[in-house]
Amino acid sequence: MSGRLSRRWPLWGALVFVLVGFLAVGATRTDGPSTPEERASGIEARIACPVCQGESVLESRNTASESIRNRVGELVDEGDLTDDEIIGVIESSYGGRILLVPRASGFDALVWALPVAALICAVSALALTFRRWKREAAAEGDPTDEDRALVAAALASEDDAPPAERDR
Amino acid sequence: MVGQRRVAPFVALAVAAVVAGLFVVFAGSTPSTDETAETPLMDRPAPEAVGQLGDGATFDLARRKGDWVVINFFQSSCIPCQQEHPDLQEFVAQQAALPDGAKFYTVVYDDDRANVEAFFSQEGGDWPVVYDEDGSIAVAFGVSKVPETWIIDPDGVVRGRVISRVSADYLGAQLQRLREGR
Repeated sequence: MSGRLSRRWPLWGALVFVLVGFLAVGATRTDGPSTPEERASGIEARIACPVCQGESVLESRNTASESIRNRVGELVDEGDLTDDEIIGVIESSYGGRILLVPRASGFDALVWALPVAALICAVSALALTFRRWKREAAAEGDPTDEDRALVAAALASEDDAPPAERDR
Repeated sequence: MVGQRRVAPFVALAVAAVVAGLFVVFAGSTPSTDETAETPLMDRPAPEAVGQLGDGATFDLARRKGDWVVINFFQSSCIPCQQEHPDLQEFVAQQAALPDGAKFYTVVYDDDRANVEAFFSQEGGDWPVVYDEDGSIAVAFGVSKVPETWIIDPDGVVRGRVISRVSADYLGAQLQRLREGR
């Protein structure tokens, strides 16, 4: 059984590799916007409505968002700036609160760094704990004759007990 | 087990210190109720602002350099805008009496020209009104609610921003303080 498995593992490995590869490409590949409207929508989806909670200017119907959409549309049509630069133009007027996705630099980087730091700390703490448990278990060594006698006595007393008591 | 007992108080102490630190930071922070709101534009050149005046002429903020300029974002149906209107009239009259008085402009925010004209003819106010048809001036200044009042110095640099209703006394005092600080 194990021989058959070991003969097949390269096949399974290749299958997993192909699957993961397709998933990675499918999840990360973008064709990019095909029209200026699509590009503007992509930018608008990254800008927060200045008077709503958790809504982008793409979704919001209020006046402030509409004005920002107009401005983004103009800048896209001019074609001189990248997406990030256009968002920077809007940010220069409204401040960082206008960014729906915080930047990965400066103080905002904490938003990204803190969860990663917490994960690293948690994994490290777990690893250290498991290692300590393993060391403690190893330090106890193999069971002595005394331990074996104790276990045997306990099992024997259990066997001698009446069935009703054992089932309890 | 003994090691755990040794470490636990220190971990608890560290967590308590962090919580206490956060408490101090949050309790000591100033609530955002200041009349002058923070803006990335403060002490920087005012953004491009071009619109159409009520008489059809073009308004270009860049061409107003040399004067203190106060611009007020306004909507005729906004209650605080209506409430501050008498104060703005008083402020404009005060500035007109000064040799270097500020030039005052209303920038219309998402409103019909007819409504604005009706408001001014009823409530008074003879200063220039700028129509920001596409909202570009509002976006350039990061305005999302009205009223808002901005102070721009003779070099074209943003020196003040007041969100919500403003009084003539406050605006006059702010402007005077800024003049003296130059």
